[in-house]
Amino acid sequence: MPEVKLVPEKWVDRYSDYLFNFTISRVSDPIMAQDLVSETFLAGLKSAHRFKGNSTERTWLISILKRKIIDYYRKINSKKGQAEIKMSYLSGSQREGDWMEENAADLRNPNVEDEIEQRELGEALNECINALPERYAIIFVQKTIDNMDTETICKEHNITASNLWVIIHRARVQLMDCLKTKWYQEE
Amino acid sequence: MGKFFISCDQASILSTREQYGDLNPKEQFRHKLHKTYCLDCRSFHKGNGKFQRTINGLRWVKLSNEQKSNIKNRIEEAMKEYKRSAR
Repeated sequence: MPEVKLVPEKWVDRYSDYLFNFTISRVSDPIMAQDLVSETFLAGLKSAHRFKGNSTERTWLISILKRKIIDYYRKINSKKGQAEIKMSYLSGSQREGDWMEENAADLRNPNVEDEIEQRELGEALNECINALPERYAIIFVQKTIDNMDTETICKEHNITASNLWVIIHRARVQLMDCLKTKWYQEE
Repeated sequence: MGKFFISCDQASILSTREQYGDLNPKEQFRHKLHKTYCLDCRSFHKGNGKFQRTINGLRWVKLSNEQKSNIKNRIEEAMKEYKRSAR
């Protein structure tokens, strides 16, 4: 495998949407997710000298992001005890006993089920995209998710249109196989 | 005649391109013709369509251009800082 070099100038264009989707499926708060993505890039920059080039940039950034997400939950958990003491279930207009039913998500509600299914499917697809070769993943995302036109992608990657379609086709075949094991079987 | 009949490799690429609405009428005809006699390609095309519907149904979240440029600025600032401290 040829040694991989870091190109921080391109990180935001290449990976920010991917990292953001990865984060939001785990954190749910868009502002926090954006902060975590931004912190990931800065941490990557700080520890760039330790990057050995054995993995791709994206895999390396994901490993940093995973640690950031774990840290985020650690921080929340360390504050949890304080939050519970301050919490008053009977404040405002809520009567005794009402709060549980009102605040719990109703899983029979089709919207909630859809949302959970969407999130799980998104996570599964993200994992599958992450398992693709980096070039395939970038080109697939640009064409399929970002809806970029063929010519622009070809120019950016210096490939012909037929090369692009072969790459997208191969990426889709791998993703379909991956989703078969991760998602369709569970349906 | 050879122009109308295509191989399975070519048909599978056409199937993928069809998901993005990239086929011209000639290619559409060749692909349809191939599917009439090739069960494997018909089945592949069905799976390909199902996969496309799955992707279309997903709500992808994306950072806005403004959010991206904010992050870019932070990275650029940090890079300048590291360069300064390295001197």
